[in-house]
Amino acid sequence: MQRRSAARLSPLLLLLLLLLPLAWGAGPWPPRADRELQVSSRLAGQAARVALHYLNYRLGSPSALRALGQVRKATVKPIPGIGHKYYLQFTTEDYKSSQNVGTCLATVLYLKRKPRPAVNINCTYTKDQKQTREDDYSFYKKLRQQTKPITGNDTPDSYGHIEPALEPAWALAVAGSSYLMWEKSTENLGYFMAQVKNVKQWITKDDSIDFDYLVILHEIPTQEMISCHLRVIWTPGHPLKVKYFCLSENQRSESGEGSGTESGSTNGIFNEEEANF
Amino acid sequence: MNCLMVNNQRRERGTSNFNYGAYHPLESIYAALDDLAAEYPSLVSKQEIGESYEKRPMYILKFSTGGTSRSAIWLDAGIHSREWITQATALWTAQKIASEYGNNPSVTSLLNRMDIFLLVVTNPDGYAFTHTNNRMWRKTRSKNSGSLCVGVDPNRNWDAGFGGPGASTNPCSESYHGPSANSEVEVKNVVNFIKSHGKIKAFLTLHSYSQLLLFPFGYKCTNPADYNELDTVGKAAASALASLYGTTYKVGTICSTIYQASGGSIDWSYDYGIKYSFAFELRDTGRYGFLLPASQIIPTAEETWLGLLKIMEHVRDNQS
Repeated sequence: MQRRSAARLSPLLLLLLLLLPLAWGAGPWPPRADRELQVSSRLAGQAARVALHYLNYRLGSPSALRALGQVRKATVKPIPGIGHKYYLQFTTEDYKSSQNVGTCLATVLYLKRKPRPAVNINCTYTKDQKQTREDDYSFYKKLRQQTKPITGNDTPDSYGHIEPALEPAWALAVAGSSYLMWEKSTENLGYFMAQVKNVKQWITKDDSIDFDYLVILHEIPTQEMISCHLRVIWTPGHPLKVKYFCLSENQRSESGEGSGTESGSTNGIFNEEEANF
Repeated sequence: MNCLMVNNQRRERGTSNFNYGAYHPLESIYAALDDLAAEYPSLVSKQEIGESYEKRPMYILKFSTGGTSRSAIWLDAGIHSREWITQATALWTAQKIASEYGNNPSVTSLLNRMDIFLLVVTNPDGYAFTHTNNRMWRKTRSKNSGSLCVGVDPNRNWDAGFGGPGASTNPCSESYHGPSANSEVEVKNVVNFIKSHGKIKAFLTLHSYSQLLLFPFGYKCTNPADYNELDTVGKAAASALASLYGTTYKVGTICSTIYQASGGSIDWSYDYGIKYSFAFELRDTGRYGFLLPASQIIPTAEETWLGLLKIMEHVRDNQS
Protein backbone atom coordinates (compact mmCIF):
# COMPACT_ATOMS: atom_id res chain seq x y z
CA MET A 1 0.00 0.00 0.00
CA GLN A 2 2.83 2.40 0.74
CA ARG A 3 4.41 1.83 -2.65
CA ARG A 4 1.15 2.65 -4.38
CA SER A 5 0.68 5.93 -2.55
CA ALA A 6 4.34 6.90 -3.10
CA ALA A 7 3.88 6.46 -6.83
CA ARG A 8 0.86 8.77 -6.77
CA LEU A 9 2.62 11.57 -4.90
CA SER A 10 4.35 14.44 -6.59
CA PRO A 11 8.16 14.25 -6.53
CA LEU A 12 8.37 17.29 -4.21
CA LEU A 13 6.02 15.80 -1.66
CA LEU A 14 7.85 12.50 -1.85
CA LEU A 15 11.12 14.29 -1.14
CA LEU A 16 9.60 16.04 1.85
CA LEU A 17 8.26 12.78 3.21
CA LEU A 18 11.66 11.15 2.86
CA LEU A 19 13.29 14.03 4.72
CA LEU A 20 10.68 13.95 7.45
CA PRO A 21 12.80 12.16 10.07
CA LEU A 22 15.50 14.80 9.59
CA ALA A 23 13.29 17.79 9.22
CA TRP A 24 10.47 17.33 11.72
CA GLY A 25 8.79 20.63 11.93
CA ALA A 26 9.72 21.63 8.40
CA GLY A 27 7.80 18.87 6.56
CA PRO A 28 4.06 18.34 6.29
CA TRP A 29 2.52 17.30 9.62
CA PRO A 30 1.04 14.82 10.11
CA PRO A 31 2.09 12.72 7.14
CA ARG A 32 -0.46 11.23 4.81
CA ALA A 33 -1.32 7.57 4.41
CA ASP A 34 -1.11 6.94 8.14
CA ARG A 35 -3.57 5.58 10.56
CA GLU A 36 -5.51 8.23 12.43
CA LEU A 37 -6.12 7.07 15.98
CA GLN A 38 -9.14 7.75 18.09
CA VAL A 39 -8.01 10.32 20.60
CA SER A 40 -9.65 8.22 23.29
CA SER A 41 -7.55 5.20 22.43
CA ARG A 42 -5.18 3.82 24.99
CA LEU A 43 -2.23 3.86 22.59
CA ALA A 44 -2.63 7.57 21.91
CA GLY A 45 -2.78 8.45 25.61
CA GLN A 46 0.09 6.14 26.36
CA ALA A 47 2.31 7.70 23.70
CA ALA A 48 1.44 11.18 24.96
CA ARG A 49 2.44 10.13 28.46
CA VAL A 50 5.76 8.82 27.21
CA ALA A 51 6.43 12.18 25.60
CA LEU A 52 5.61 13.88 28.91
CA HIS A 53 7.88 11.53 30.90
CA TYR A 54 10.68 12.64 28.60
CA LEU A 55 9.77 16.33 28.96
CA ASN A 56 9.54 16.15 32.76
CA TYR A 57 12.89 14.42 32.94
CA ARG A 58 14.65 16.80 30.56
CA LEU A 59 13.29 19.94 32.21
CA GLY A 60 14.32 18.58 35.60
CA SER A 61 12.14 21.14 37.35
CA PRO A 62 9.97 19.97 40.24
CA SER A 63 7.84 23.11 39.97
CA ALA A 64 7.17 22.66 36.25
CA LEU A 65 6.08 19.03 36.19
CA ARG A 66 3.25 18.35 33.79
CA ALA A 67 0.55 15.74 33.53
CA LEU A 68 -1.49 14.77 30.49
CA GLY A 69 -4.64 16.79 29.84
CA GLN A 70 -6.50 15.71 26.71
CA VAL A 71 -5.24 14.17 23.49
CA ARG A 72 -6.53 16.36 20.67
CA LYS A 73 -5.07 14.55 17.69
CA ALA A 74 -3.17 11.32 17.20
CA THR A 75 -1.79 9.55 14.16
CA VAL A 76 0.49 6.54 13.90
CA LYS A 77 2.81 5.79 11.03
CA PRO A 78 4.43 2.38 10.61
CA ILE A 79 8.05 2.67 9.51
CA PRO A 80 8.89 -0.72 8.00
CA GLY A 81 11.79 -2.45 9.71
CA ILE A 82 12.10 0.30 12.30
CA GLY A 83 8.97 0.71 14.34
CA HIS A 84 5.89 2.85 14.85
CA LYS A 85 5.93 6.62 14.98
CA TYR A 86 3.18 8.48 16.76
CA TYR A 87 2.28 12.09 15.97
CA LEU A 88 0.43 13.73 18.83
CA GLN A 89 -1.18 16.95 19.89
CA PHE A 90 -2.28 17.16 23.49
CA THR A 91 -3.01 19.57 26.30
CA THR A 92 -1.12 19.48 29.59
CA GLU A 93 -1.91 20.27 33.20
CA ASP A 94 0.25 21.40 36.06
CA TYR A 95 1.12 18.26 38.02
CA LYS A 96 0.16 19.80 41.36
CA SER A 97 -2.68 22.18 40.63
CA SER A 98 -4.23 20.42 37.58
CA GLN A 99 -4.54 23.79 35.88
CA ASN A 100 -4.13 23.80 32.13
CA VAL A 101 -0.59 24.95 31.34
CA GLY A 102 -0.29 24.58 27.59
CA THR A 103 -0.34 22.39 24.52
CA CYS A 104 2.32 20.09 23.10
CA LEU A 105 3.15 18.67 19.71
CA ALA A 106 5.18 15.52 19.95
CA THR A 107 6.43 12.54 18.03
CA VAL A 108 7.14 9.27 19.78
CA LEU A 109 9.02 6.62 17.87
CA TYR A 110 8.85 3.13 19.30
CA LEU A 111 11.83 1.29 17.93
CA LYS A 112 11.85 -2.43 17.44
CA ARG A 113 15.47 -2.79 18.43
CA LYS A 114 16.40 0.02 20.82
CA PRO A 115 15.29 -0.09 24.43
CA ARG A 116 13.56 3.25 24.77
CA PRO A 117 11.22 5.40 22.66
CA ALA A 118 12.66 8.36 20.74
CA VAL A 119 10.79 11.53 21.61
CA ASN A 120 10.57 14.97 20.04
CA ILE A 121 8.35 17.36 21.93
CA ASN A 122 7.55 21.06 21.68
CA CYS A 123 5.20 22.76 24.08
CA THR A 124 3.72 26.10 24.94
CA TYR A 125 3.77 27.00 28.60
CA THR A 126 1.25 29.36 30.07
CA LYS A 127 2.70 29.46 33.58
CA ASP A 128 5.10 32.25 34.47
CA GLN A 129 8.59 30.86 33.85
CA LYS A 130 10.16 33.32 36.29
CA GLN A 131 7.77 32.06 38.95
CA THR A 132 8.65 28.41 38.35
CA ARG A 133 12.36 29.24 38.51
CA GLU A 134 11.78 30.99 41.83
CA ASP A 135 9.67 28.08 43.10
CA ASP A 136 12.44 25.67 42.13
CA TYR A 137 14.99 27.82 43.87
CA SER A 138 13.02 28.02 47.13
CA PHE A 139 12.56 24.22 46.92
CA TYR A 140 16.28 23.92 46.53
CA LYS A 141 17.10 26.33 49.33
CA LYS A 142 14.80 24.52 51.75
CA LEU A 143 16.44 21.20 50.92
CA ARG A 144 19.99 22.61 51.11
CA GLN A 145 19.20 24.03 54.54
CA GLN A 146 18.48 20.56 55.92
CA THR A 147 21.02 19.67 58.58
CA LYS A 148 19.17 16.46 59.30
CA PRO A 149 18.54 14.38 56.16
CA ILE A 150 14.90 14.05 55.09
CA THR A 151 13.57 10.53 55.42
CA GLY A 152 10.11 9.16 54.95
CA ASN A 153 7.86 6.25 54.07
CA ASP A 154 4.70 5.76 52.05
CA THR A 155 4.26 9.04 50.21
CA PRO A 156 1.39 9.42 49.53
CA ASP A 157 0.16 7.21 52.37
CA SER A 158 -2.71 4.72 52.07
CA TYR A 159 -5.21 7.58 52.35
CA GLY A 160 -3.61 9.70 49.62
CA HIS A 161 -2.00 12.11 52.06
CA ILE A 162 1.40 13.69 51.40
CA GLU A 163 3.19 15.15 54.43
CA PRO A 164 3.95 18.80 53.59
CA ALA A 165 7.57 18.29 54.70
CA LEU A 166 7.93 15.49 52.14
CA GLU A 167 6.41 17.36 49.21
CA PRO A 168 9.71 18.54 47.71
CA ALA A 169 11.16 15.04 47.95
CA TRP A 170 8.01 13.63 46.35
CA ALA A 171 8.18 16.12 43.49
CA LEU A 172 11.80 15.19 42.80
CA ALA A 173 10.78 11.54 42.84
CA VAL A 174 8.22 12.29 40.13
CA ALA A 175 10.89 14.02 38.05
CA GLY A 176 13.37 11.18 38.57
CA SER A 177 10.75 8.49 37.95
CA SER A 178 9.94 10.21 34.67
CA TYR A 179 13.35 9.18 33.37
CA LEU A 180 12.80 5.64 34.56
CA MET A 181 9.31 5.44 33.07
CA TRP A 182 10.46 6.89 29.75
CA GLU A 183 13.20 4.24 29.55
CA LYS A 184 10.88 1.36 30.37
CA SER A 185 7.93 2.39 28.21
CA THR A 186 7.14 0.43 25.08
CA GLU A 187 4.27 0.75 22.66
CA ASN A 188 2.31 -1.68 24.79
CA LEU A 189 3.64 -1.13 28.31
CA GLY A 190 2.93 2.12 30.13
CA TYR A 191 3.72 3.34 33.64
CA PHE A 192 2.49 5.56 36.42
CA MET A 193 4.36 6.39 39.61
CA ALA A 194 2.09 4.87 42.23
CA GLN A 195 3.92 5.63 45.46
CA VAL A 196 7.22 6.60 47.02
CA LYS A 197 7.70 3.72 49.41
CA ASN A 198 10.82 5.14 50.97
CA VAL A 199 12.90 8.29 50.70
CA LYS A 200 16.28 9.10 52.14
CA GLN A 201 18.25 12.25 51.59
CA TRP A 202 22.05 12.28 51.38
CA ILE A 203 23.54 15.52 52.66
CA THR A 204 26.20 16.50 50.10
CA LYS A 205 29.29 18.65 50.39
CA ASP A 206 28.67 20.22 46.96
CA ASP A 207 25.69 22.19 45.59
CA SER A 208 23.55 19.22 44.71
CA ILE A 209 20.42 17.72 46.23
CA ASP A 210 20.75 13.96 46.54
CA PHE A 211 17.93 11.52 47.23
CA ASP A 212 17.64 7.77 47.43
CA TYR A 213 14.15 6.41 46.74
CA LEU A 214 12.25 3.20 46.61
CA VAL A 215 9.38 3.89 44.21
CA ILE A 216 6.48 1.71 43.18
CA LEU A 217 5.45 1.93 39.54
CA HIS A 218 2.06 0.79 38.28
CA GLU A 219 2.47 -1.05 34.96
CA ILE A 220 -0.33 -1.08 32.36
CA PRO A 221 -1.87 -3.28 31.03
CA THR A 222 -0.30 -6.01 33.16
CA GLN A 223 -1.43 -4.26 36.41
CA GLU A 224 1.86 -5.22 38.04
CA MET A 225 3.43 -3.07 40.74
CA ILE A 226 7.15 -2.74 40.07
CA SER A 227 9.62 -1.73 42.80
CA CYS A 228 12.57 0.37 41.74
CA HIS A 229 15.45 1.92 43.59
CA LEU A 230 16.00 5.43 42.32
CA ARG A 231 18.90 7.81 42.93
CA VAL A 232 18.24 11.41 41.96
CA ILE A 233 20.83 14.16 42.00
CA TRP A 234 19.54 17.65 41.31
CA THR A 235 20.99 21.09 40.91
CA PRO A 236 18.50 23.67 39.60
CA GLY A 237 19.21 24.65 36.01
CA HIS A 238 21.22 21.50 35.39
CA PRO A 239 20.10 18.22 33.83
CA LEU A 240 18.74 15.74 36.33
CA LYS A 241 21.08 12.87 37.15
CA VAL A 242 19.18 9.63 37.65
CA LYS A 243 20.26 6.09 38.39
CA TYR A 244 17.84 3.25 38.86
CA PHE A 245 17.61 -0.43 39.58
CA CYS A 246 14.28 -2.24 39.29
CA LEU A 247 13.27 -5.59 40.67
CA SER A 248 10.84 -7.76 38.82
CA GLU A 249 8.84 -10.91 39.48
CA ASN A 250 11.36 -13.21 37.83
CA GLN A 251 14.26 -11.75 39.82
CA ARG A 252 15.42 -10.11 36.59
CA SER A 253 16.74 -6.68 37.30
CA GLU A 254 16.98 -3.73 35.01
CA SER A 255 19.08 -0.69 35.59
CA GLY A 256 19.88 2.53 33.89
CA GLU A 257 21.51 5.87 34.24
CA GLY A 258 20.61 9.26 32.86
CA SER A 259 22.41 12.56 32.86
CA GLY A 260 20.59 14.74 30.36
CA THR A 261 22.73 13.78 27.39
CA GLU A 262 20.31 11.27 25.84
CA SER A 263 19.05 11.85 22.30
CA GLY A 264 15.65 13.31 21.73
CA SER A 265 14.62 16.89 21.60
CA THR A 266 12.50 19.48 23.18
CA ASN A 267 12.29 23.20 22.70
CA GLY A 268 12.27 23.55 26.45
CA ILE A 269 9.47 25.88 27.25
CA PHE A 270 8.55 29.20 25.86
CA ASN A 271 6.12 31.64 27.31
CA GLU A 272 3.40 32.35 24.82
CA GLU A 273 -0.30 32.76 24.54
CA GLU A 274 -1.94 29.55 23.43
CA ALA A 275 -0.66 29.27 19.88
CA ASN A 276 -3.00 28.48 17.03
CA PHE A 277 -1.98 24.94 16.04
CA MET B 1 -19.26 7.50 83.27
CA ASN B 2 -20.48 4.18 81.84
CA CYS B 3 -23.75 5.81 80.70
CA LEU B 4 -21.82 8.53 78.82
CA MET B 5 -19.63 6.01 77.02
CA VAL B 6 -22.57 3.95 75.84
CA ASN B 7 -24.32 7.08 74.59
CA ASN B 8 -21.22 8.15 72.64
CA GLN B 9 -20.97 4.82 70.89
CA ARG B 10 -24.64 4.90 69.94
CA ARG B 11 -24.36 8.35 68.45
CA GLU B 12 -21.27 7.42 66.45
CA ARG B 13 -23.17 4.62 64.81
CA GLY B 14 -25.90 6.83 63.30
CA THR B 15 -25.52 7.44 59.56
CA SER B 16 -25.73 11.20 60.10
CA ASN B 17 -22.44 10.94 61.98
CA PHE B 18 -20.74 8.54 59.60
CA ASN B 19 -17.94 10.25 57.74
CA TYR B 20 -18.55 9.40 54.08
CA GLY B 21 -15.56 11.56 53.17
CA ALA B 22 -13.06 9.15 54.71
CA TYR B 23 -11.73 5.67 53.92
CA HIS B 24 -12.97 3.04 56.37
CA PRO B 25 -11.89 -0.47 57.28
CA LEU B 26 -14.21 -3.36 56.44
CA GLU B 27 -15.84 -3.57 59.88
CA SER B 28 -16.86 0.09 59.76
CA ILE B 29 -18.30 -0.29 56.27
CA TYR B 30 -20.35 -3.27 57.40
CA ALA B 31 -21.60 -1.31 60.43
CA ALA B 32 -22.63 1.53 58.11
CA LEU B 33 -24.66 -0.92 56.00
CA ASP B 34 -26.56 -1.96 59.11
CA ASP B 35 -27.12 1.67 60.04
CA LEU B 36 -28.56 2.48 56.62
CA ALA B 37 -30.96 -0.44 56.82
CA ALA B 38 -31.97 0.68 60.31
CA GLU B 39 -32.45 4.30 59.27
CA TYR B 40 -34.55 3.53 56.16
CA PRO B 41 -36.33 0.30 57.14
CA SER B 42 -39.12 0.60 54.57
CA LEU B 43 -36.66 1.03 51.70
CA VAL B 44 -33.34 -0.60 52.56
CA SER B 45 -32.58 -4.16 53.63
CA LYS B 46 -29.31 -6.07 53.93
CA GLN B 47 -28.86 -9.55 52.48
CA GLU B 48 -25.97 -11.98 52.47
CA ILE B 49 -25.20 -13.50 49.06
CA GLY B 50 -22.47 -15.83 50.29
CA GLU B 51 -19.04 -15.83 51.85
CA SER B 52 -15.58 -14.96 50.60
CA TYR B 53 -12.66 -17.39 50.42
CA GLU B 54 -11.65 -16.50 53.97
CA LYS B 55 -15.26 -16.82 55.08
CA ARG B 56 -16.13 -13.15 55.31
CA PRO B 57 -19.79 -12.40 54.59
CA MET B 58 -20.65 -10.68 51.30
CA TYR B 59 -23.49 -8.24 51.98
CA ILE B 60 -25.69 -6.49 49.46
CA LEU B 61 -28.15 -3.71 50.14
CA LYS B 62 -31.55 -4.05 48.52
CA PHE B 63 -33.43 -0.84 47.76
CA SER B 64 -37.08 -1.68 47.19
CA THR B 65 -40.46 -0.05 47.63
CA GLY B 66 -42.24 -3.37 47.40
CA GLY B 67 -43.90 -5.28 44.58
CA THR B 68 -43.13 -8.84 43.59
CA SER B 69 -40.28 -9.87 41.29
CA ARG B 70 -39.58 -6.38 40.03
CA SER B 71 -36.85 -5.70 37.51
CA ALA B 72 -33.68 -4.50 39.14
CA ILE B 73 -30.40 -2.69 38.67
CA TRP B 74 -27.16 -4.19 39.98
CA LEU B 75 -24.24 -2.03 41.14
CA ASP B 76 -21.00 -3.35 42.62
CA ALA B 77 -17.70 -1.87 43.81
CA GLY B 78 -14.37 -3.01 45.17
CA ILE B 79 -13.86 -6.10 43.05
CA HIS B 80 -10.23 -4.96 42.93
CA SER B 81 -9.44 -4.27 46.54
CA ARG B 82 -6.81 -1.53 46.09
CA GLU B 83 -9.32 0.67 44.26
CA TRP B 84 -10.47 2.27 47.52
CA ILE B 85 -12.37 5.14 45.89
CA THR B 86 -14.89 2.59 44.59
CA GLN B 87 -16.00 1.16 47.94
CA ALA B 88 -16.14 4.69 49.37
CA THR B 89 -18.19 5.94 46.39
CA ALA B 90 -20.57 2.98 46.61
CA LEU B 91 -21.21 3.61 50.30
CA TRP B 92 -21.94 7.29 49.68
CA THR B 93 -24.21 6.26 46.80
CA ALA B 94 -26.16 3.94 49.10
CA GLN B 95 -26.84 6.82 51.44
CA LYS B 96 -27.73 9.04 48.48
CA ILE B 97 -30.27 6.62 47.01
CA ALA B 98 -31.90 6.17 50.40
CA SER B 99 -32.16 9.87 51.09
CA GLU B 100 -33.31 10.81 47.58
CA TYR B 101 -36.32 8.53 47.60
CA GLY B 102 -39.33 10.74 48.20
CA ASN B 103 -37.30 13.87 47.50
CA ASN B 104 -35.99 13.46 43.98
CA PRO B 105 -38.78 12.77 41.45
CA SER B 106 -36.52 10.76 39.17
CA VAL B 107 -35.17 8.52 41.92
CA THR B 108 -38.66 8.17 43.35
CA SER B 109 -40.17 7.06 40.04
CA LEU B 110 -37.23 4.70 39.50
CA LEU B 111 -37.66 3.00 42.87
CA ASN B 112 -41.41 2.86 42.46
CA ARG B 113 -40.86 0.62 39.45
CA MET B 114 -37.52 -1.10 39.95
CA ASP B 115 -35.29 -2.38 42.74
CA ILE B 116 -31.60 -1.58 43.16
CA PHE B 117 -29.03 -4.04 44.51
CA LEU B 118 -25.73 -2.64 45.74
CA LEU B 119 -22.63 -4.67 46.63
CA VAL B 120 -20.23 -2.25 48.30
CA VAL B 121 -17.33 -4.65 48.91
CA THR B 122 -17.14 -7.37 46.28
CA ASN B 123 -13.72 -8.57 47.45
CA PRO B 124 -13.70 -8.32 51.26
CA ASP B 125 -10.62 -10.52 51.77
CA GLY B 126 -8.59 -8.33 49.45
CA TYR B 127 -9.92 -5.19 51.09
CA ALA B 128 -8.94 -6.39 54.55
CA PHE B 129 -5.49 -7.26 53.18
CA THR B 130 -5.01 -3.74 51.83
CA HIS B 131 -5.45 -2.48 55.39
CA THR B 132 -3.29 -5.01 57.19
CA ASN B 133 -0.54 -5.95 54.76
CA ASN B 134 -0.35 -4.48 51.28
CA ARG B 135 -2.19 -1.37 50.20
CA MET B 136 -1.64 -2.32 46.56
CA TRP B 137 -3.29 -5.77 46.73
CA ARG B 138 -5.68 -6.29 43.80
CA LYS B 139 -6.74 -9.92 43.70
CA THR B 140 -8.68 -12.32 45.89
CA ARG B 141 -6.81 -14.17 48.64
CA SER B 142 -7.39 -17.70 47.44
CA LYS B 143 -4.52 -20.19 47.58
CA ASN B 144 -3.23 -21.42 44.25
CA SER B 145 -2.32 -25.08 44.22
CA GLY B 146 1.27 -25.66 43.23
CA SER B 147 2.28 -22.05 43.75
CA LEU B 148 3.47 -19.87 46.59
CA CYS B 149 1.62 -16.95 45.08
CA VAL B 150 -1.83 -16.08 46.35
CA GLY B 151 -4.93 -14.80 44.67
CA VAL B 152 -6.81 -14.59 41.39
CA ASP B 153 -7.80 -11.46 39.50
CA PRO B 154 -11.56 -11.55 40.07
CA ASN B 155 -12.16 -9.48 36.94
CA ARG B 156 -10.52 -12.08 34.71
CA ASN B 157 -12.43 -14.94 36.30
CA TRP B 158 -15.88 -14.49 34.72
CA ASP B 159 -17.21 -16.81 32.06
CA ALA B 160 -16.68 -14.49 29.11
CA GLY B 161 -13.87 -15.43 26.78
CA PHE B 162 -12.27 -16.99 29.86
CA GLY B 163 -8.58 -17.68 29.48
CA GLY B 164 -8.28 -15.53 26.39
CA PRO B 165 -5.95 -12.58 25.70
CA GLY B 166 -5.39 -9.99 28.40
CA ALA B 167 -5.36 -12.45 31.29
CA SER B 168 -2.39 -14.30 32.73
CA THR B 169 -1.84 -18.01 33.30
CA ASN B 170 0.73 -17.22 36.00
CA PRO B 171 -0.61 -17.39 39.59
CA CYS B 172 1.95 -14.77 40.59
CA SER B 173 0.53 -12.28 38.11
CA GLU B 174 -1.86 -9.48 39.04
CA SER B 175 -4.10 -10.53 36.16
CA TYR B 176 -4.08 -14.28 36.81
CA HIS B 177 -7.41 -15.61 35.58
CA GLY B 178 -7.58 -18.55 37.94
CA PRO B 179 -7.87 -22.29 37.25
CA SER B 180 -11.35 -21.99 35.71
CA ALA B 181 -14.21 -19.55 35.19
CA ASN B 182 -16.07 -18.77 38.44
CA SER B 183 -13.36 -20.57 40.45
CA GLU B 184 -13.41 -17.60 42.81
CA VAL B 185 -16.24 -17.89 45.30
CA GLU B 186 -16.68 -14.11 45.29
CA VAL B 187 -17.46 -14.22 41.56
CA LYS B 188 -19.59 -17.33 41.89
CA ASN B 189 -21.73 -15.70 44.57
CA VAL B 190 -22.55 -12.74 42.32
CA VAL B 191 -23.25 -14.97 39.31
CA ASN B 192 -25.58 -17.13 41.38
CA PHE B 193 -27.44 -14.12 42.68
CA ILE B 194 -27.89 -12.57 39.24
CA LYS B 195 -29.03 -15.85 37.71
CA SER B 196 -31.48 -16.71 40.45
CA HIS B 197 -32.94 -13.20 40.53
CA GLY B 198 -33.73 -13.48 36.86
CA LYS B 199 -34.79 -9.88 36.22
CA ILE B 200 -31.61 -7.82 36.43
CA LYS B 201 -31.75 -5.23 33.67
CA ALA B 202 -28.50 -3.36 34.26
CA PHE B 203 -25.10 -4.47 35.54
CA LEU B 204 -22.93 -1.58 36.68
CA THR B 205 -19.50 -1.94 38.26
CA LEU B 206 -17.00 0.50 39.73
CA HIS B 207 -13.24 0.43 39.26
CA SER B 208 -10.42 2.95 39.45
CA TYR B 209 -8.46 4.69 38.04
CA SER B 210 -8.48 6.41 34.62
CA GLN B 211 -11.79 8.27 34.30
CA LEU B 212 -13.41 6.04 31.74
CA LEU B 213 -16.93 4.77 31.11
CA LEU B 214 -16.71 1.41 29.42
CA PHE B 215 -19.08 -1.08 27.86
CA PRO B 216 -18.48 -4.50 26.23
CA PHE B 217 -16.50 -6.08 24.84
CA GLY B 218 -13.14 -6.59 26.46
CA TYR B 219 -12.52 -10.21 25.55
CA LYS B 220 -12.86 -9.47 21.86
CA CYS B 221 -12.21 -6.34 19.87
CA THR B 222 -15.51 -6.29 18.01
CA ASN B 223 -18.42 -4.04 18.87
CA PRO B 224 -21.49 -5.33 20.67
CA ALA B 225 -24.79 -5.43 18.78
CA ASP B 226 -26.09 -2.62 20.99
CA TYR B 227 -23.05 -0.44 20.38
CA ASN B 228 -24.97 2.64 19.26
CA GLU B 229 -27.34 2.68 22.20
CA LEU B 230 -24.65 1.93 24.79
CA ASP B 231 -22.38 4.58 23.31
CA THR B 232 -25.18 7.16 23.35
CA VAL B 233 -26.16 6.38 26.93
CA GLY B 234 -22.50 6.32 27.96
CA LYS B 235 -21.83 9.71 26.43
CA ALA B 236 -24.91 11.18 28.12
CA ALA B 237 -23.76 9.76 31.45
CA ALA B 238 -20.22 11.10 31.01
CA SER B 239 -21.63 14.48 30.12
CA ALA B 240 -23.82 14.54 33.23
CA LEU B 241 -20.84 13.50 35.34
CA ALA B 242 -18.67 16.26 33.89
CA SER B 243 -21.34 18.90 34.50
CA LEU B 244 -20.58 19.03 38.22
CA TYR B 245 -16.82 19.60 38.51
CA GLY B 246 -15.61 19.40 34.91
CA THR B 247 -14.17 15.90 35.35
CA THR B 248 -13.80 14.44 31.86
CA TYR B 249 -14.40 10.78 31.11
CA LYS B 250 -13.69 8.92 27.90
CA VAL B 251 -16.42 6.59 26.69
CA GLY B 252 -16.00 3.44 24.62
CA THR B 253 -15.67 -0.31 24.50
CA ILE B 254 -13.19 -1.93 26.85
CA CYS B 255 -11.01 -3.18 24.05
CA SER B 256 -10.66 0.09 22.18
CA THR B 257 -10.45 2.37 25.20
CA ILE B 258 -8.45 0.46 27.77
CA TYR B 259 -7.06 -2.87 26.56
CA GLN B 260 -8.16 -6.31 25.51
CA ALA B 261 -8.98 -8.26 28.67
CA SER B 262 -10.84 -11.55 28.88
CA GLY B 263 -13.02 -12.90 31.67
CA GLY B 264 -14.46 -9.54 32.73
CA SER B 265 -17.72 -9.04 34.59
CA ILE B 266 -19.58 -6.75 32.21
CA ASP B 267 -18.75 -8.97 29.23
CA TRP B 268 -20.32 -11.86 31.11
CA SER B 269 -23.40 -9.87 32.10
CA TYR B 270 -23.88 -8.59 28.56
CA ASP B 271 -23.55 -12.03 26.97
CA TYR B 272 -25.90 -13.33 29.67
CA GLY B 273 -28.54 -10.93 28.34
CA ILE B 274 -28.14 -7.85 30.52
CA LYS B 275 -27.92 -5.21 27.84
CA TYR B 276 -27.03 -2.24 30.05
CA SER B 277 -23.62 -3.36 31.21
CA PHE B 278 -21.18 -0.58 32.10
CA ALA B 279 -17.93 -0.26 34.00
CA PHE B 280 -16.75 3.03 35.48
CA GLU B 281 -13.08 3.73 36.03
CA LEU B 282 -13.24 6.54 38.59
CA ARG B 283 -10.74 9.32 39.44
CA ASP B 284 -8.00 10.14 38.82
CA THR B 285 -5.88 9.84 35.67
CA GLY B 286 -2.63 8.83 37.36
CA ARG B 287 -1.40 11.57 39.67
CA TYR B 288 -2.51 9.74 42.82
CA GLY B 289 -3.90 6.65 41.11
CA PHE B 290 -5.07 4.15 43.69
CA LEU B 291 -4.04 6.50 46.52
CA LEU B 292 -6.71 9.10 45.81
CA PRO B 293 -6.84 11.63 48.66
CA ALA B 294 -9.86 11.28 50.92
CA SER B 295 -10.76 14.89 50.17
CA GLN B 296 -11.78 13.70 46.70
CA ILE B 297 -14.18 11.00 47.89
CA ILE B 298 -17.31 13.12 48.13
CA PRO B 299 -16.71 15.12 44.94
CA THR B 300 -16.04 11.85 43.10
CA ALA B 301 -19.16 10.24 44.53
CA GLU B 302 -21.31 13.29 43.75
CA GLU B 303 -20.26 13.47 40.11
CA THR B 304 -20.39 9.70 39.61
CA TRP B 305 -23.92 9.72 40.98
CA LEU B 306 -25.03 11.98 38.12
CA GLY B 307 -23.58 9.53 35.63
CA LEU B 308 -25.12 6.52 37.35
CA LEU B 309 -28.50 8.21 37.56
CA LYS B 310 -28.44 9.01 33.84
CA ILE B 311 -27.89 5.34 33.05
CA MET B 312 -30.50 4.18 35.55
CA GLU B 313 -33.09 6.59 34.14
CA HIS B 314 -32.48 5.20 30.68
CA VAL B 315 -32.88 1.66 31.99
CA ARG B 316 -36.08 2.64 33.80
CA ASP B 317 -37.52 4.22 30.65
CA ASN B 318 -36.42 1.48 28.25
CA GLN B 319 -36.64 -1.75 30.13
CA SER B 320 -38.54 -4.50 28.35
